[in-house]
Amino acid sequence: MRRRSFGVGMAGLTAATLARPALGQADVSGPLVVYTSQLEPDAAGTVEAFRRRHPGVTVEWIRGGTGQIMTRLRAEIAAGAPRPDVLLLADSLTFEALKGEGRLRASPEVVTTGIPAEHLDAGRAYFGTKLITTGIMHHQRAPFAPRRWEDLLGPRARNQVAMPSPAVSGAAAIHLLTIAQNPALGWSYIERLVGNGVQARGGNGPVMQAVAGAERAFGIAIDYLPIREAARGAPVRFVFPEDGVSAITEPAAILSTVRNVPAAVAFVNFLLSREGQELASRQGFLPADPEVASPPGFPEPRSIRVMPFDAARAAREQEETLRRFAALVGG
Amino acid sequence: MPIPRLFPLPRSRGGGSRWGFTPWATLWLLLLGAVPLLRLIAEALSGTALAAALTDPAVWRAAGRSLTISLAAAALATAIGAALTAALLLREAPARRTLIFLAVLPALVPAQIMALGWIQAGGPASPLLLALDLAPPIGTPNPVYGPAGMIALLGVQGAPLVMLALAAVLRRVPGETVLAARGLGATPGMALRRAVWPLLVPGLLAGAGLAYVAALGNFGVGALLGIPARYTVLPVLLWQRLSSGGAASLAQAAALAVILAAMAAPALALQAVAARRVPSAGRSAFAPLPLGPARWPVAALILLYLLVALGIPMAALTVAALVPATGVEISLATATMRHFAAALAPGAHAIAAFANSLLLSLGAAAILAAASLPVALAMRARAVRAASAGTDLPYALPGACTGVAAILVVLSLPGGGALYGTLGLILFAYLTRFQALALRPVAAAAARLDPTLDDAARGMGAGAWRRLTRVHLPPLAPALAAGAILVALTAVNEVTVSSLLYGPGTQTLGVLVFGLQESGQNPLAAAVSLLALGVMAALMGAATLAARRLPAGTLPWRP
Repeated sequence: MRRRSFGVGMAGLTAATLARPALGQADVSGPLVVYTSQLEPDAAGTVEAFRRRHPGVTVEWIRGGTGQIMTRLRAEIAAGAPRPDVLLLADSLTFEALKGEGRLRASPEVVTTGIPAEHLDAGRAYFGTKLITTGIMHHQRAPFAPRRWEDLLGPRARNQVAMPSPAVSGAAAIHLLTIAQNPALGWSYIERLVGNGVQARGGNGPVMQAVAGAERAFGIAIDYLPIREAARGAPVRFVFPEDGVSAITEPAAILSTVRNVPAAVAFVNFLLSREGQELASRQGFLPADPEVASPPGFPEPRSIRVMPFDAARAAREQEETLRRFAALVGG
Repeated sequence: MPIPRLFPLPRSRGGGSRWGFTPWATLWLLLLGAVPLLRLIAEALSGTALAAALTDPAVWRAAGRSLTISLAAAALATAIGAALTAALLLREAPARRTLIFLAVLPALVPAQIMALGWIQAGGPASPLLLALDLAPPIGTPNPVYGPAGMIALLGVQGAPLVMLALAAVLRRVPGETVLAARGLGATPGMALRRAVWPLLVPGLLAGAGLAYVAALGNFGVGALLGIPARYTVLPVLLWQRLSSGGAASLAQAAALAVILAAMAAPALALQAVAARRVPSAGRSAFAPLPLGPARWPVAALILLYLLVALGIPMAALTVAALVPATGVEISLATATMRHFAAALAPGAHAIAAFANSLLLSLGAAAILAAASLPVALAMRARAVRAASAGTDLPYALPGACTGVAAILVVLSLPGGGALYGTLGLILFAYLTRFQALALRPVAAAAARLDPTLDDAARGMGAGAWRRLTRVHLPPLAPALAAGAILVALTAVNEVTVSSLLYGPGTQTLGVLVFGLQESGQNPLAAAVSLLALGVMAALMGAATLAARRLPAGTLPWRP
């Protein structure tokens, strides 16, 4: 982040616009359209950091839950005019589906130096950019601090648990599929959770707000929101349950209908680069590159237990599982 | 938020075609009025979308909820608006001008921002309730979510519309009415009750109709307070159907828009009936009567109402924007400007959204004002008057109808698909929606112009363009400015239309605030809302300065 000293505000904006591109990057220019499920300030920060690196590129972006973005993209594909060049969405399942339809461009030229192979698609169609786990958050005034997933089934958690809707949040969809695959929890756990009055609504942001706002004592949510907000003083805590968290890698991909290949590749390169990974860490995400330090508030990455997840099986069961869940919660 | 105006329609005076603008004016008005509406109706009637919508239980449920909410909100608005009129317009309350200004403000603060304020004010983490030790226990849903909160908020927002509709009629109530009643021995109260209020009934009806349609078409309140309570009203259902994508969604949205228009129709008819029964002005204007010993309690009561209706949500919004994170108690030590910095950080959507909203609102205001000049001068022609009725509808109908109609018109143009999601599409929709708002003051002023002026200029050999700029523009300029100001103020925080039409890079302020709140970024949403209110206040200040010589009632906050 060489030009950080320019600071924020209009001065920084002008300076960054006037600054000359670094050597060897002068060829990257033109418009780039990004669809992302990152929250507004994170997406803005990522785009701005990229723009400082490549001032010639004008990034137009739009944010929404993975489900909302995919609905929009599907409509655009149906109309024959998909607008985005790059997708940065929560989970690999979404990308598997798009890849199966031939909607993703294989991009072997993307530089993946520090990223472990398990976070990358073997066909180089999509690239994991960070680790986002789903665990339990609770309000400071909650009746107890949960330690295991079963704790959310007790009478003291009745009508007190919020979770994101898997129709909106890609992380929530993966979480649901992971729980369903886990022999120790399975569908009976999901049924008992719904029976105990879990409220599924919106994405992870609203769950964070519901718990921080004390409308609900507990939330099933992604790790970085509560950890980051707790550091700012929000009355919430995040727990990595003893029996494991579910995890997603927030992959980035270039569409096969991409209009600006150099800029799209540069954007994905940036996300995977040391600089991009450090930015992710500063924003409060666990970076995909193990060499980059975890953000404050996270436990030692090796101490986090991740529940096993069979992606191929999940891809087969996704539609049925989400439909079954929607029927269960009456949405 | 539509602002009521009861300008009398200009009467025909002399021949029409000699003004020379008739064909252009007719064409412009048809393009913005009749064409989008007919395209919408055609889309809804072709195919099976309307039939499918009418057999869809979700549509009936949403329509029933919309009807309940709008009727209740209109009743509440009428009651509050009538009470405010009785205290502030008919009587000499202390600090009358200030109180009138404050009483009109709830209609000018965008509904979605007011809703945000109430969300922050209620609930177990409300900084206000926590400070008073009144916060409900953890796990209690926010009482603002759901129908009761929606009715209260829309009622408070509609009250100024009722009050302004009454003010428009009151300007035409002859002062002699009161003098006659007093001469017959009536007390001031009796004179108002028996002689003035009966004349104000058309204003009350028109105001109730306005409040009903405003509540019916409101997307911001329905989305922010209704969605969390799973209480879906029709504009929200329309937005959900349209954003759920697919080729069929546009036809579905068109069908819902036509249903929404049909639900608004009785209220529009009510307003038309009321407009015909406005009294003819007397020789002297009505002057407010003294309140006597009741004036201080009345003023205190109004202040209390304003404190609840405006003060609490605005204070809650400010606190929400200043806390470092939701749930943190506010104090000098915890207060932070971080969210304002995040809103204005380079790359953030807020700056782009401010630019988009200002560009759209000022652009629409300038174009509509420029177009209103020749159109108003051509209003003497029957074809132009008929075409202008077509542009009255997109303004009076719920915004979702205009939004869907704009998409349909643009998509049926060759190559129009390229406009989808661009500022051009939103601008076209704004032109359609707000032409009537810009035209009315100009048409009223143009009708008062002396036609001999034009004849004289023509006799001296001045061409059409020269007459337009040298003869007609100077006397009509204040009215043009008034129309433009109303358009800019209404459009800058618009959300209903732009939420249906925006694309990457073309988010408006209203859409951004809604998106931030929906994704759980409440403090950021509050910060952006406060900045948006600042922009509105600046626009209002500029308008007040620019419009000092305009007749009363031109600016809504100076009735």
